[in-house]
Amino acid sequence: MAMNPKEKIIIIDDEEVVLDSCSQILQGRNYDVFTAQDGATGLKLVEELKPDLVFIDLKMPGIPGLEVLEKIHVQDDTVVTIVITGYATIDSAVEAMKNGAYDFLPKPFTPDEFRLITKRGLERRKLVVEALTLRREKELLRENFAAIVSHELKSPLGAIQQNLFAMTGELAGKLSENQNARLERMKIRIDDLIKLINSWLRVYSVDISKVKENFAPIQVPDLVTKAIENVEPHAVRKDIKLITHFAGQLPTIEGDEMSLIEALVNIIGNAVKYSFPGSQVTIESTEKDGMVEIDISDKGVGIPEDELQNVLSDFYRGRSNKSDENSHGIGLTISRKIIEAHNGVIQVTSKANVGTIFTIRIPVPQGAGEK
Amino acid sequence: MTVQKKLLIIDDDPDFVEGIKSILDGAGYDVDVAYNPKSGLQALQSKFYDLLLLDIMMGRGAEGIMIARKLRKDSKLREMPVLIITGIREQMAFLFPGEPVHPRFVAVDELVEKPVEPKMLLEKVSTLIETAEARKTKSD
Repeated sequence: MAMNPKEKIIIIDDEEVVLDSCSQILQGRNYDVFTAQDGATGLKLVEELKPDLVFIDLKMPGIPGLEVLEKIHVQDDTVVTIVITGYATIDSAVEAMKNGAYDFLPKPFTPDEFRLITKRGLERRKLVVEALTLRREKELLRENFAAIVSHELKSPLGAIQQNLFAMTGELAGKLSENQNARLERMKIRIDDLIKLINSWLRVYSVDISKVKENFAPIQVPDLVTKAIENVEPHAVRKDIKLITHFAGQLPTIEGDEMSLIEALVNIIGNAVKYSFPGSQVTIESTEKDGMVEIDISDKGVGIPEDELQNVLSDFYRGRSNKSDENSHGIGLTISRKIIEAHNGVIQVTSKANVGTIFTIRIPVPQGAGEK
Repeated sequence: MTVQKKLLIIDDDPDFVEGIKSILDGAGYDVDVAYNPKSGLQALQSKFYDLLLLDIMMGRGAEGIMIARKLRKDSKLREMPVLIITGIREQMAFLFPGEPVHPRFVAVDELVEKPVEPKMLLEKVSTLIETAEARKTKSD
């Protein structure tokens, strides 16, 4: 086992006899005990030594104990503090606990009581530090997630895919139809994986609210048209018609075009995915109460009522999706986040086997009403 | 075919390089490879290349960017087109805040994401070389 640094304990009390006896009680254990006879000296020690545990007598000349306690916690909130109450009144103990003390020790106390409370205080300190370390690690992991995932997962997949791409050309004419089909299938599967990783990256590591920095005027019909261009190939394959309606002259909105297109592509793509072949998806844009509203409605399988509330929450995946459709519900989550970053809202209404309507509302900037 | 074009790939992932090199070989290019930034720079200084294919994330971080920055400062090499190949297009905006789409490292460059479809790869490569040559003839 690695050698643990000695735990540091500071005792602040104006009575020398208390300081002496406490130091003596803790002697011989793996502690470094320091003492101070008044608040000012105690605070200085705390600052210098960064202790694990501090005992503070509440009744001292000079800076009152409660103030010392408060100042310690302002300095470092992970220090565990225990107050020593000369007059064992509940009131002062409660007041101290409110100010961050972990526990209180009424005078007079026995050596065993003091040892026990010291042990508990240090255990508490260990937990506090552990929790803090874990939280920091979690933050660090989150921050580095993009780098870790992109390198550790995407790189090998990219290398595999690049070789499959190359081999497809090199093996042209040499493979049977079945072998060709399997090769294509492999490429599709890897492509799906890469896309999935990209989506996860989007949700975890990219702070979508940052799109606010790139806001520029956007024409809604442009937006819808560009999104549809993206989804069209899928729609054609499933023989689904994409129909757009624009109600009159729509006002200009403010936003980040790329991410709004992404949001629309996810939603329209989702509508196509869950539509029956030969049906249609309608994208209707109107202006209502200072908002631009875009409704995306399909005549698809619909979403059961009990699942509806989950659709836009993090990481929902349709229960009824067919096995040949790979769906990662993450797309809708991303859409929601993008729209919220535009101060907009997204809602969904649906009836099983009738269809689903996604409604996006984005506020029209004030004064930018008429174009 | 006219004179065989010379390309250099700088990328530290040998498997990826194999995949991309064989596509370029197949299209009739003369392809050299450097597996780290240092030997990449040495190759660039000792030989003329029509195009550089540059990976951004190498070694301990974005070491490819250092190469790109060095190229930008070199009066001769800055005319060489660079195709940046990266696995981190999504994060580019956060590595280079405030830059549009992707940062222009050198006068003639483009950015594609790993893995690259052969058709797109070959299109970008030939377009970049043509554009660079057209610029050169113009300024001659």
